[in-house]
Amino acid sequence: MTCGKDHIIQLKEVWTTYEGADLPVIKDVTLNIKPGEFVVIGGPNGAGKTTLLETIAGLLPVVNGSVQVCGHDVIKDGCAARKKIGYVIQNFDFHPYTPFTVEEVVLMGRYGKLGWLKRHSSRDMDKVTSAICQLGLCPMQKNQIGKLSGGQQQKVLIAQNLAKDPEVLLLDEPFSNLDMVTREEVSRLLCQIADAGIPVLIVSHAFDALPDRDIRVVVMQHGEIILNQLSHPSDVGNLVRSASVAA
Amino acid sequence: MLEFLIPNNVMCHAVEAMLFASLGCALLSVLITQMNISSIGFTMSHAAFAGGSVGAFFGYAVLPSAVFVSILTAFLMGPLSDRTRMHTDTTLGVLFGTMMAVAIFFIALMQGTGKGFDASSLLYGNVISLYREEIYALAVITCIILIFLIIFYKEITAIVFHKRLAEIAGIQVKPVYYGILFLISVMVALSIPIVGGLLLYVWLVTPAAIAYQFCNTMRNMFIMAPVVAVIVSVTGAICGILYSLPVGPLTAVIFSGLFVGAVAVSPKRKIVFHNH
Repeated sequence: MTCGKDHIIQLKEVWTTYEGADLPVIKDVTLNIKPGEFVVIGGPNGAGKTTLLETIAGLLPVVNGSVQVCGHDVIKDGCAARKKIGYVIQNFDFHPYTPFTVEEVVLMGRYGKLGWLKRHSSRDMDKVTSAICQLGLCPMQKNQIGKLSGGQQQKVLIAQNLAKDPEVLLLDEPFSNLDMVTREEVSRLLCQIADAGIPVLIVSHAFDALPDRDIRVVVMQHGEIILNQLSHPSDVGNLVRSASVAA
Repeated sequence: MLEFLIPNNVMCHAVEAMLFASLGCALLSVLITQMNISSIGFTMSHAAFAGGSVGAFFGYAVLPSAVFVSILTAFLMGPLSDRTRMHTDTTLGVLFGTMMAVAIFFIALMQGTGKGFDASSLLYGNVISLYREEIYALAVITCIILIFLIIFYKEITAIVFHKRLAEIAGIQVKPVYYGILFLISVMVALSIPIVGGLLLYVWLVTPAAIAYQFCNTMRNMFIMAPVVAVIVSVTGAICGILYSLPVGPLTAVIFSGLFVGAVAVSPKRKIVFHNH
Protein backbone atom coordinates (compact mmCIF):
# COMPACT_ATOMS: atom_id res chain seq x y z
CA MET A 1 0.00 0.00 0.00
CA THR A 2 2.74 2.46 0.96
CA CYS A 3 5.94 3.23 -0.89
CA GLY A 4 7.91 0.83 1.29
CA LYS A 5 10.56 3.31 2.42
CA ASP A 6 11.63 3.85 6.02
CA HIS A 7 10.66 7.46 5.72
CA ILE A 8 7.83 8.10 3.32
CA ILE A 9 8.20 11.88 3.70
CA GLN A 10 11.70 13.34 3.88
CA LEU A 11 12.35 17.06 4.15
CA LYS A 12 16.00 18.03 4.41
CA GLU A 13 17.05 21.61 5.27
CA VAL A 14 14.10 23.01 3.34
CA TRP A 15 13.62 26.73 2.76
CA THR A 16 10.39 27.79 1.10
CA THR A 17 9.27 31.21 0.01
CA TYR A 18 6.41 32.83 -1.85
CA GLU A 19 7.18 34.84 -4.96
CA GLY A 20 7.74 38.48 -4.02
CA ALA A 21 8.03 37.75 -0.29
CA ASP A 22 10.84 39.52 1.60
CA LEU A 23 11.59 36.57 3.86
CA PRO A 24 11.29 32.78 3.52
CA VAL A 25 8.18 31.30 5.11
CA ILE A 26 9.79 27.94 5.93
CA LYS A 27 13.33 28.09 7.28
CA ASP A 28 15.73 25.19 7.39
CA VAL A 29 13.07 22.56 8.11
CA THR A 30 14.12 18.93 8.39
CA LEU A 31 11.33 16.42 8.97
CA ASN A 32 11.11 12.65 8.44
CA ILE A 33 7.78 10.82 8.62
CA LYS A 34 7.40 7.05 8.66
CA PRO A 35 4.49 5.10 7.16
CA GLY A 36 1.52 4.92 9.54
CA GLU A 37 2.52 7.92 11.66
CA PHE A 38 -0.20 10.31 12.84
CA VAL A 39 1.25 13.80 12.89
CA VAL A 40 -0.35 16.91 14.36
CA ILE A 41 1.22 20.17 13.22
CA GLY A 42 0.48 23.01 15.62
CA GLY A 43 1.61 26.53 16.32
CA PRO A 44 0.32 30.09 16.16
CA ASN A 45 -1.24 31.70 13.09
CA GLY A 46 1.35 32.55 10.46
CA ALA A 47 3.87 30.02 11.82
CA GLY A 48 4.13 28.28 8.42
CA LYS A 49 1.94 25.21 9.06
CA THR A 50 -0.08 25.42 5.83
CA THR A 51 3.08 26.36 3.92
CA LEU A 52 4.70 23.18 5.25
CA LEU A 53 1.82 21.08 3.87
CA GLU A 54 1.95 22.93 0.53
CA THR A 55 5.69 22.34 0.38
CA ILE A 56 5.21 18.61 0.94
CA ALA A 57 2.54 18.63 -1.80
CA GLY A 58 4.96 20.39 -4.17
CA LEU A 59 2.74 23.42 -4.61
CA LEU A 60 5.34 26.02 -3.62
CA PRO A 61 8.82 26.87 -4.87
CA VAL A 62 11.54 25.39 -2.64
CA VAL A 63 14.60 27.66 -2.68
CA ASN A 64 16.90 25.31 -0.82
CA GLY A 65 16.95 21.73 0.44
CA SER A 66 15.19 18.60 -0.77
CA VAL A 67 11.67 17.19 -0.45
CA GLN A 68 11.05 13.51 -1.13
CA VAL A 69 7.57 12.00 -0.92
CA CYS A 70 7.05 8.32 -1.75
CA GLY A 71 10.45 8.32 -3.46
CA HIS A 72 9.52 11.24 -5.73
CA ASP A 73 11.55 14.41 -5.76
CA VAL A 74 8.70 16.85 -5.22
CA ILE A 75 10.73 19.83 -6.48
CA LYS A 76 11.47 18.22 -9.84
CA ASP A 77 8.31 16.16 -10.34
CA GLY A 78 5.54 17.53 -8.15
CA CYS A 79 2.79 16.25 -10.44
CA ALA A 80 3.86 12.60 -10.10
CA ALA A 81 4.13 13.00 -6.32
CA ARG A 82 0.71 14.62 -6.07
CA LYS A 83 -0.88 11.55 -7.64
CA LYS A 84 0.10 9.75 -4.43
CA ILE A 85 -0.66 12.58 -2.01
CA GLY A 86 -4.10 13.36 -0.64
CA TYR A 87 -4.39 16.99 0.43
CA VAL A 88 -7.53 18.48 1.97
CA ILE A 89 -7.22 22.26 1.68
CA GLN A 90 -8.36 24.72 4.31
CA ASN A 91 -10.09 27.48 2.39
CA PHE A 92 -12.76 26.64 -0.13
CA ASP A 93 -15.89 28.41 -1.21
CA PHE A 94 -18.20 26.78 -3.72
CA HIS A 95 -20.95 28.75 -5.45
CA PRO A 96 -24.41 27.43 -4.47
CA TYR A 97 -25.16 26.54 -8.10
CA THR A 98 -21.75 25.24 -9.10
CA PRO A 99 -22.77 22.52 -11.59
CA PHE A 100 -21.06 19.56 -9.90
CA THR A 101 -22.56 16.83 -7.76
CA VAL A 102 -20.91 15.29 -4.71
CA GLU A 103 -20.22 12.13 -6.71
CA GLU A 104 -18.53 14.08 -9.54
CA VAL A 105 -16.33 16.03 -7.11
CA VAL A 106 -15.22 12.86 -5.29
CA LEU A 107 -14.49 11.17 -8.63
CA MET A 108 -12.19 14.09 -9.57
CA GLY A 109 -9.83 12.84 -6.86
CA ARG A 110 -9.04 9.86 -9.08
CA TYR A 111 -8.49 11.82 -12.31
CA GLY A 112 -4.77 12.40 -11.74
CA LYS A 113 -4.15 8.68 -11.23
CA LEU A 114 -6.17 7.78 -14.33
CA GLY A 115 -3.84 9.82 -16.55
CA TRP A 116 -4.49 11.35 -19.96
CA LEU A 117 -7.13 9.94 -22.32
CA LYS A 118 -8.48 7.37 -19.86
CA ARG A 119 -12.06 7.16 -18.66
CA HIS A 120 -13.05 6.06 -15.17
CA SER A 121 -13.92 2.40 -14.70
CA SER A 122 -16.43 0.64 -12.45
CA ARG A 123 -13.54 0.10 -10.00
CA ASP A 124 -13.09 3.87 -9.79
CA MET A 125 -16.80 4.31 -9.14
CA ASP A 126 -16.65 1.67 -6.40
CA LYS A 127 -13.84 3.63 -4.72
CA VAL A 128 -15.91 6.81 -5.02
CA THR A 129 -19.05 5.22 -3.55
CA SER A 130 -17.04 3.65 -0.74
CA ALA A 131 -15.37 6.98 0.17
CA ILE A 132 -18.72 8.81 0.06
CA CYS A 133 -20.34 6.24 2.35
CA GLN A 134 -17.37 6.25 4.75
CA LEU A 135 -18.00 9.95 5.31
CA GLY A 136 -21.76 9.41 5.70
CA LEU A 137 -22.59 11.28 2.51
CA CYS A 138 -24.52 8.49 0.75
CA PRO A 139 -27.93 10.23 0.84
CA MET A 140 -26.48 13.35 -0.81
CA GLN A 141 -24.36 11.58 -3.46
CA LYS A 142 -26.30 13.22 -6.32
CA ASN A 143 -26.70 16.62 -4.62
CA GLN A 144 -24.87 19.68 -5.90
CA ILE A 145 -21.85 20.39 -3.72
CA GLY A 146 -22.62 24.11 -3.50
CA LYS A 147 -25.90 23.41 -1.73
CA LEU A 148 -24.28 21.50 1.14
CA SER A 149 -23.24 23.08 4.43
CA GLY A 150 -19.61 24.02 5.08
CA GLY A 151 -19.09 20.89 7.19
CA GLN A 152 -20.61 18.64 4.54
CA GLN A 153 -18.44 20.25 1.86
CA GLN A 154 -15.42 19.58 4.05
CA LYS A 155 -16.45 15.92 4.26
CA VAL A 156 -16.77 15.81 0.45
CA LEU A 157 -13.19 17.05 0.08
CA ILE A 158 -12.00 14.44 2.58
CA ALA A 159 -13.92 11.77 0.61
CA GLN A 160 -12.32 13.06 -2.61
CA ASN A 161 -8.90 12.43 -1.14
CA LEU A 162 -9.84 9.03 0.28
CA ALA A 163 -11.14 7.94 -3.13
CA LYS A 164 -7.72 8.81 -4.52
CA ASP A 165 -6.16 5.95 -2.49
CA PRO A 166 -3.41 8.24 -1.23
CA GLU A 167 -0.09 6.99 0.10
CA VAL A 168 0.26 10.15 2.18
CA LEU A 169 -2.65 12.15 3.57
CA LEU A 170 -2.35 15.86 4.40
CA LEU A 171 -5.25 17.73 5.98
CA ASP A 172 -5.36 21.44 6.72
CA GLU A 173 -7.77 22.21 9.57
CA PRO A 174 -9.95 19.15 8.86
CA PHE A 175 -12.11 19.68 11.95
CA SER A 176 -12.72 23.41 11.55
CA ASN A 177 -16.23 23.15 10.05
CA LEU A 178 -17.30 19.93 11.71
CA ASP A 179 -19.59 19.38 14.70
CA MET A 180 -18.36 17.39 17.70
CA VAL A 181 -19.89 14.05 16.64
CA THR A 182 -18.56 14.35 13.09
CA ARG A 183 -15.12 15.35 14.40
CA GLU A 184 -14.94 12.10 16.31
CA GLU A 185 -16.12 10.10 13.28
CA VAL A 186 -13.55 11.75 11.01
CA SER A 187 -10.87 11.29 13.66
CA ARG A 188 -11.65 7.54 13.88
CA LEU A 189 -11.48 7.31 10.10
CA LEU A 190 -8.10 9.08 10.00
CA CYS A 191 -6.86 6.72 12.72
CA GLN A 192 -7.89 3.70 10.60
CA ILE A 193 -6.04 5.20 7.63
CA ALA A 194 -2.88 5.69 9.69
CA ASP A 195 -3.23 2.15 11.10
CA ALA A 196 -3.26 0.91 7.50
CA GLY A 197 0.23 2.36 7.06
CA ILE A 198 -0.62 5.70 5.45
CA PRO A 199 0.92 8.65 7.27
CA VAL A 200 -1.65 11.29 8.22
CA LEU A 201 -0.47 14.87 8.77
CA ILE A 202 -3.02 17.34 10.08
CA VAL A 203 -2.70 21.03 10.76
CA SER A 204 -5.10 21.78 13.56
CA HIS A 205 -5.95 24.03 16.46
CA ALA A 206 -8.56 21.55 17.75
CA PHE A 207 -6.99 18.86 19.89
CA ASP A 208 -10.16 17.49 21.49
CA ALA A 209 -10.94 14.82 18.89
CA LEU A 210 -7.57 13.19 18.35
CA PRO A 211 -7.46 9.40 18.03
CA ASP A 212 -6.29 7.27 20.90
CA ARG A 213 -2.84 6.34 19.56
CA ASP A 214 0.70 7.68 19.56
CA ILE A 215 0.81 11.06 17.90
CA ARG A 216 3.85 12.91 16.60
CA VAL A 217 3.53 16.54 17.59
CA VAL A 218 5.29 19.08 15.39
CA VAL A 219 5.13 22.67 16.59
CA MET A 220 6.10 25.51 14.29
CA GLN A 221 7.01 29.08 15.08
CA HIS A 222 8.24 31.73 12.61
CA GLY A 223 8.71 29.11 9.89
CA GLU A 224 10.86 26.80 11.99
CA ILE A 225 10.10 23.53 13.77
CA ILE A 226 10.57 24.18 17.48
CA LEU A 227 9.23 20.84 18.74
CA ASN A 228 9.05 17.39 17.18
CA GLN A 229 8.21 14.52 19.53
CA LEU A 230 5.87 11.60 20.11
CA SER A 231 3.04 12.17 22.52
CA HIS A 232 -0.17 10.77 23.97
CA PRO A 233 -3.28 12.44 22.44
CA SER A 234 -4.32 13.97 25.77
CA ASP A 235 -0.98 15.82 26.02
CA VAL A 236 -0.96 17.29 22.51
CA GLY A 237 -2.77 20.52 23.41
CA ASN A 238 -0.49 21.24 26.37
CA LEU A 239 2.63 20.44 24.36
CA VAL A 240 1.65 22.80 21.55
CA ARG A 241 0.72 25.57 23.99
CA SER A 242 3.84 25.29 26.14
CA ALA A 243 6.18 25.08 23.14
CA SER A 244 4.56 28.15 21.56
CA VAL A 245 4.75 30.13 24.81
CA ALA A 246 8.35 29.09 25.52
CA ALA A 247 9.43 30.17 22.03
CA MET B 1 -22.21 21.72 -47.26
CA LEU B 2 -25.94 22.30 -46.75
CA GLU B 3 -26.81 23.12 -50.37
CA PHE B 4 -29.02 20.02 -50.58
CA LEU B 5 -31.21 21.53 -47.83
CA ILE B 6 -31.01 25.23 -48.72
CA PRO B 7 -30.84 25.91 -52.47
CA ASN B 8 -30.45 29.69 -52.00
CA ASN B 9 -26.66 30.17 -52.02
CA VAL B 10 -26.60 33.33 -49.87
CA MET B 11 -28.96 31.83 -47.30
CA CYS B 12 -27.00 28.58 -47.32
CA HIS B 13 -23.67 30.35 -46.60
CA ALA B 14 -25.25 32.39 -43.83
CA VAL B 15 -26.84 29.37 -42.17
CA GLU B 16 -23.63 27.32 -42.39
CA ALA B 17 -21.56 30.14 -40.91
CA MET B 18 -24.03 30.75 -38.07
CA LEU B 19 -24.33 27.02 -37.42
CA PHE B 20 -20.61 26.42 -36.94
CA ALA B 21 -19.86 29.72 -35.20
CA SER B 22 -22.72 29.30 -32.72
CA LEU B 23 -21.86 25.64 -32.06
CA GLY B 24 -18.20 26.36 -31.32
CA CYS B 25 -18.88 29.54 -29.34
CA ALA B 26 -21.62 27.87 -27.28
CA LEU B 27 -19.39 24.96 -26.29
CA LEU B 28 -16.73 27.43 -25.22
CA SER B 29 -19.30 29.65 -23.49
CA VAL B 30 -19.83 26.90 -20.90
CA LEU B 31 -16.14 27.06 -20.00
CA ILE B 32 -16.00 30.86 -20.17
CA THR B 33 -18.92 31.39 -17.79
CA GLN B 34 -17.95 28.64 -15.34
CA MET B 35 -14.30 29.78 -15.23
CA ASN B 36 -15.35 33.45 -14.82
CA ILE B 37 -13.26 34.66 -17.77
CA SER B 38 -16.01 36.36 -19.72
CA SER B 39 -13.73 39.35 -20.48
CA ILE B 40 -11.89 37.05 -22.87
CA GLY B 41 -14.61 37.79 -25.43
CA PHE B 42 -13.97 41.49 -25.79
CA THR B 43 -10.20 41.14 -25.21
CA MET B 44 -9.85 38.71 -28.10
CA SER B 45 -12.15 40.68 -30.38
CA HIS B 46 -10.05 43.80 -29.72
CA ALA B 47 -6.88 41.79 -30.34
CA ALA B 48 -8.36 40.92 -33.72
CA PHE B 49 -9.25 44.59 -34.22
CA ALA B 50 -5.66 45.60 -33.39
CA GLY B 51 -4.31 42.91 -35.71
CA GLY B 52 -6.56 44.09 -38.53
CA SER B 53 -5.45 47.72 -38.19
CA VAL B 54 -1.73 46.80 -37.95
CA GLY B 55 -2.11 44.54 -41.00
CA ALA B 56 -3.88 47.28 -42.96
CA PHE B 57 -1.18 49.80 -42.03
CA PHE B 58 1.60 47.54 -43.33
CA GLY B 59 -0.39 46.56 -46.42
CA TYR B 60 -1.43 43.03 -45.42
CA ALA B 61 -4.91 41.52 -45.66
CA VAL B 62 -7.07 42.48 -42.68
CA LEU B 63 -8.56 39.09 -41.69
CA PRO B 64 -5.35 36.98 -41.65
CA SER B 65 -3.65 39.78 -39.67
CA ALA B 66 -6.55 39.80 -37.22
CA VAL B 67 -6.37 36.01 -36.78
CA PHE B 68 -2.58 36.12 -36.37
CA VAL B 69 -2.64 38.75 -33.61
CA SER B 70 -5.51 36.96 -31.81
CA ILE B 71 -3.52 33.73 -31.74
CA LEU B 72 -0.43 35.61 -30.56
CA THR B 73 -2.47 37.16 -27.76
CA ALA B 74 -3.81 33.72 -26.82
CA PHE B 75 -0.27 32.39 -26.50
CA LEU B 76 0.61 35.32 -24.21
CA MET B 77 -2.50 35.20 -22.06
CA GLY B 78 -1.95 32.04 -20.00
CA PRO B 79 1.73 32.53 -19.17
CA LEU B 80 1.12 36.24 -18.55
CA SER B 81 -1.62 35.60 -15.98
CA ASP B 82 0.63 33.02 -14.29
CA ARG B 83 3.66 35.34 -14.19
CA THR B 84 1.72 38.36 -12.94
CA ARG B 85 0.07 36.25 -10.19
CA MET B 86 -3.22 37.94 -10.95
CA HIS B 87 -6.65 36.59 -11.78
CA THR B 88 -6.96 35.81 -15.50
CA ASP B 89 -9.75 38.39 -15.74
CA THR B 90 -7.38 41.15 -14.57
CA THR B 91 -4.75 40.15 -17.14
CA LEU B 92 -7.48 40.14 -19.78
CA GLY B 93 -8.42 43.69 -18.74
CA VAL B 94 -4.82 44.85 -19.22
CA LEU B 95 -4.58 43.12 -22.61
CA PHE B 96 -7.93 44.59 -23.68
CA GLY B 97 -6.70 48.15 -23.03
CA THR B 98 -3.41 47.46 -24.78
CA MET B 99 -5.07 46.00 -27.87
CA MET B 100 -7.56 48.86 -28.06
CA ALA B 101 -4.68 51.34 -27.84
CA VAL B 102 -2.73 49.57 -30.60
CA ALA B 103 -5.80 49.57 -32.85
CA ILE B 104 -6.53 53.28 -32.28
CA PHE B 105 -2.84 54.17 -32.71
CA PHE B 106 -2.56 52.56 -36.15
CA ILE B 107 -5.96 53.84 -37.31
CA ALA B 108 -4.86 57.36 -36.33
CA LEU B 109 -1.57 56.86 -38.20
CA MET B 110 -3.46 55.74 -41.30
CA GLN B 111 -5.79 58.72 -41.13
CA GLY B 112 -2.75 61.00 -40.76
CA THR B 113 -1.07 59.54 -43.83
CA GLY B 114 -4.25 59.59 -45.88
CA LYS B 115 -4.68 55.76 -45.93
CA GLY B 116 -8.23 54.64 -45.39
CA PHE B 117 -9.21 51.79 -43.10
CA ASP B 118 -12.73 50.48 -42.92
CA ALA B 119 -13.05 48.82 -39.52
CA SER B 120 -16.76 48.11 -39.91
CA SER B 121 -16.20 44.51 -41.08
CA LEU B 122 -14.32 43.77 -37.85
CA LEU B 123 -16.68 45.71 -35.61
CA TYR B 124 -20.05 44.61 -37.01
CA GLY B 125 -19.27 41.63 -39.28
CA ASN B 126 -21.34 40.52 -42.23
CA VAL B 127 -22.58 36.97 -42.40
CA ILE B 128 -23.40 37.03 -46.11
CA SER B 129 -19.97 38.23 -47.23
CA LEU B 130 -18.02 35.17 -46.12
CA TYR B 131 -15.84 33.09 -48.43
CA ARG B 132 -16.23 29.31 -48.55
CA GLU B 133 -12.76 28.92 -47.02
CA GLU B 134 -13.82 30.94 -43.98
CA ILE B 135 -16.81 28.66 -43.43
CA TYR B 136 -14.57 25.59 -43.78
CA ALA B 137 -12.18 27.11 -41.23
CA LEU B 138 -15.12 27.58 -38.83
CA ALA B 139 -16.20 23.97 -39.36
CA VAL B 140 -12.67 22.74 -38.68
CA ILE B 141 -12.17 24.77 -35.47
CA THR B 142 -15.61 23.70 -34.20
CA CYS B 143 -14.66 20.04 -34.77
CA ILE B 144 -11.33 20.60 -33.00
CA ILE B 145 -13.14 22.17 -30.01
CA LEU B 146 -15.54 19.23 -29.86
CA ILE B 147 -12.70 16.69 -30.01
CA PHE B 148 -10.69 18.62 -27.40
CA LEU B 149 -13.69 18.64 -25.04
CA ILE B 150 -14.31 14.91 -25.50
CA ILE B 151 -10.66 13.89 -25.07
CA PHE B 152 -9.90 16.12 -22.08
CA TYR B 153 -13.37 16.16 -20.52
CA LYS B 154 -12.27 14.92 -17.11
CA GLU B 155 -9.32 17.34 -16.90
CA ILE B 156 -11.48 20.25 -18.10
CA THR B 157 -14.27 19.60 -15.58
CA ALA B 158 -11.74 19.33 -12.74
CA ILE B 159 -10.10 22.62 -13.74
CA VAL B 160 -13.46 24.36 -14.12
CA PHE B 161 -14.51 23.13 -10.68
CA HIS B 162 -11.34 24.26 -8.85
CA LYS B 163 -7.92 24.82 -10.45
CA ARG B 164 -6.06 24.28 -7.18
CA LEU B 165 -7.89 21.03 -6.39
CA ALA B 166 -7.23 19.80 -9.93
CA GLU B 167 -3.53 20.48 -9.44
CA ILE B 168 -3.61 18.63 -6.11
CA ALA B 169 -5.33 15.67 -7.77
CA GLY B 170 -2.22 15.33 -9.96
CA ILE B 171 -3.70 16.79 -13.14
CA GLN B 172 -1.39 18.71 -15.52
CA VAL B 173 -3.43 21.91 -15.32
CA LYS B 174 -1.36 24.29 -17.44
CA PRO B 175 -1.43 22.52 -20.83
CA VAL B 176 -5.21 22.04 -20.65
CA TYR B 177 -5.86 25.58 -19.40
CA TYR B 178 -3.66 27.13 -22.09
CA GLY B 179 -5.36 24.89 -24.66
CA ILE B 180 -8.76 26.26 -23.63
CA LEU B 181 -7.53 29.88 -23.94
CA PHE B 182 -5.97 29.12 -27.33
CA LEU B 183 -9.16 27.56 -28.74
CA ILE B 184 -11.24 30.50 -27.49
CA SER B 185 -8.92 32.95 -29.26
CA VAL B 186 -8.99 31.10 -32.57
CA MET B 187 -12.77 30.73 -32.40
CA VAL B 188 -13.16 34.45 -31.67
CA ALA B 189 -10.83 35.45 -34.49
CA LEU B 190 -12.66 33.27 -37.01
CA SER B 191 -16.14 34.35 -35.83
CA ILE B 192 -15.49 38.11 -35.95
CA PRO B 193 -16.25 38.42 -39.70
CA ILE B 194 -19.71 36.93 -39.05
CA VAL B 195 -21.14 39.00 -36.20
CA GLY B 196 -18.31 41.43 -35.51
CA GLY B 197 -16.21 42.04 -32.43
CA LEU B 198 -18.89 44.09 -30.69
CA LEU B 199 -21.61 41.43 -30.74
CA LEU B 200 -19.48 38.32 -30.46
CA TYR B 201 -19.61 38.63 -26.70
CA VAL B 202 -23.26 37.53 -26.84
CA TRP B 203 -22.29 34.20 -28.48
CA LEU B 204 -19.52 33.61 -25.96
CA VAL B 205 -21.61 34.13 -22.83
CA THR B 206 -25.36 34.00 -23.40
CA PRO B 207 -25.83 30.35 -24.53
CA ALA B 208 -24.23 29.07 -21.31
CA ALA B 209 -26.04 31.71 -19.26
CA ILE B 210 -29.37 30.43 -20.64
CA ALA B 211 -28.41 26.76 -20.13
CA TYR B 212 -27.26 27.52 -16.58
CA GLN B 213 -30.81 28.56 -15.66
CA PHE B 214 -32.00 24.98 -16.23
CA CYS B 215 -28.97 22.68 -15.83
CA ASN B 216 -27.38 21.38 -12.67
CA THR B 217 -24.45 19.58 -14.29
CA MET B 218 -21.71 20.54 -16.74
CA ARG B 219 -22.68 17.65 -19.02
CA ASN B 220 -26.21 19.03 -19.40
CA MET B 221 -24.86 22.54 -19.98
CA PHE B 222 -22.59 21.21 -22.75
CA ILE B 223 -25.69 19.73 -24.42
CA MET B 224 -28.20 22.53 -23.88
CA ALA B 225 -26.00 25.56 -24.66
CA PRO B 226 -25.07 24.48 -28.23
CA VAL B 227 -28.64 23.34 -28.99
CA VAL B 228 -30.02 26.75 -27.92
CA ALA B 229 -27.27 28.64 -29.73
CA VAL B 230 -27.71 26.77 -33.00
CA ILE B 231 -31.53 27.18 -32.99
CA VAL B 232 -31.34 30.90 -32.19
CA SER B 233 -28.47 31.64 -34.62
CA VAL B 234 -29.91 29.72 -37.57
CA THR B 235 -33.35 31.28 -36.92
CA GLY B 236 -31.69 34.72 -36.76
CA ALA B 237 -29.84 34.14 -40.03
CA ILE B 238 -32.95 32.91 -41.89
CA CYS B 239 -35.22 35.70 -40.57
CA GLY B 240 -32.56 38.35 -41.14
CA ILE B 241 -32.04 37.40 -44.77
CA LEU B 242 -35.74 36.79 -45.51
CA TYR B 243 -36.83 40.15 -44.07
CA SER B 244 -33.64 42.11 -44.95
CA LEU B 245 -32.69 42.73 -41.32
CA PRO B 246 -29.14 42.87 -39.92
CA VAL B 247 -28.44 39.24 -38.96
CA GLY B 248 -25.92 39.78 -36.12
CA PRO B 249 -27.91 42.31 -34.09
CA LEU B 250 -31.18 40.42 -34.69
CA THR B 251 -29.69 37.18 -33.39
CA ALA B 252 -28.14 38.98 -30.40
CA VAL B 253 -31.54 40.46 -29.50
CA ILE B 254 -33.22 37.02 -29.75
CA PHE B 255 -30.51 35.60 -27.47
CA SER B 256 -31.04 38.37 -24.92
CA GLY B 257 -34.84 37.96 -25.00
CA LEU B 258 -34.45 34.23 -24.47
CA PHE B 259 -32.09 34.85 -21.55
CA VAL B 260 -34.63 37.13 -19.86
CA GLY B 261 -37.32 34.47 -20.39
CA ALA B 262 -35.02 31.75 -19.04
CA VAL B 263 -34.28 33.75 -15.90
CA ALA B 264 -38.02 34.36 -15.40
CA VAL B 265 -38.97 30.67 -15.56
CA SER B 266 -35.78 29.14 -14.16
CA PRO B 267 -36.43 26.41 -11.56
CA LYS B 268 -33.36 27.69 -9.71
CA ARG B 269 -35.42 30.60 -8.43
CA LYS B 270 -38.30 28.44 -7.23
CA ILE B 271 -38.80 28.51 -3.45
CA VAL B 272 -40.19 25.27 -2.04
CA PHE B 273 -41.81 25.34 1.38
CA HIS B 274 -42.76 22.24 3.36
CA ASN B 275 -44.26 22.75 6.79
CA HIS B 276 -43.95 19.08 7.73
